[in-house]
Amino acid sequence: MADTPILLAVIGRPHGVRGLVRVQCHAADPASLEGYDALFDDRGRRWTLRWRGEGIAELRDADGRVLADRDAAQAMVNQRLSVERAALPETDDGEFYHTDLIGLEAFEGDRSWGRVKAVHDFGAGTILEIGAGLMLPFTLACVPVVDLAGGRITVSLPDELEVPGELEDSVETGVTP
Amino acid sequence: MARSVWKGPFVDGFLFKKAEASRASGRNEVIKIWSRRSTILPQFVGLTFGVYNGHKFLPVQVTENMVGHKFGEFSPTRTFTGHASDKKSKRG
Repeated sequence: MADTPILLAVIGRPHGVRGLVRVQCHAADPASLEGYDALFDDRGRRWTLRWRGEGIAELRDADGRVLADRDAAQAMVNQRLSVERAALPETDDGEFYHTDLIGLEAFEGDRSWGRVKAVHDFGAGTILEIGAGLMLPFTLACVPVVDLAGGRITVSLPDELEVPGELEDSVETGVTP
Repeated sequence: MARSVWKGPFVDGFLFKKAEASRASGRNEVIKIWSRRSTILPQFVGLTFGVYNGHKFLPVQVTENMVGHKFGEFSPTRTFTGHASDKKSKRG
């Protein structure tokens, strides 16, 4: 896990004639890209990045040289910039990188529900997508144990509420909160 | 055009029954609903609803900040899964 490359940005088209490039950032905070000592492209070359405008960046190689001109910038198009997993800052207690959660196998007792395919957040809490479409809230009640070293999480599936009686009654309006 | 204020927020009536039943049980439950059009009321805070998006029931943990919004706003029907990159989440 420590040396897994984490994709942070993709280089787009050149900007101007002074070697600047447009950068599509996938990081949560674009400003954080400036804080990394080494961003690695697809060919394994080291780069550092400085923002020069919104979505426009200056790249420096391992020797500190900027891209010379537009042709050099053109040669970088579609290169993906990654960092090693170990370079990411430490998380707070109870906080997890999505990239660490993806791929963990979910167990309920001895039963496996599959692996975590994706981590979503639509504004109402984090959701783990497990196996063939199981959506589980990322809470202590539903995911009591996260074992990153062991590559597994323990899940406790919530009950589905059943309310007896007729639920197809009239729609209420005029309810004041 | 916005809904008239004198009408009050719109809520499907059966949601109250489900919410009350969930509160009474006190268990780890997801209330499955299809009513994306209903407004989130303060009575629902703290509960978890599974809101149908035409494909799956997405868990929606209701917090105070969500009061006044509709359930459907938190269960998108078209999803784009971006790159995980350095995004992180706290376990709720």
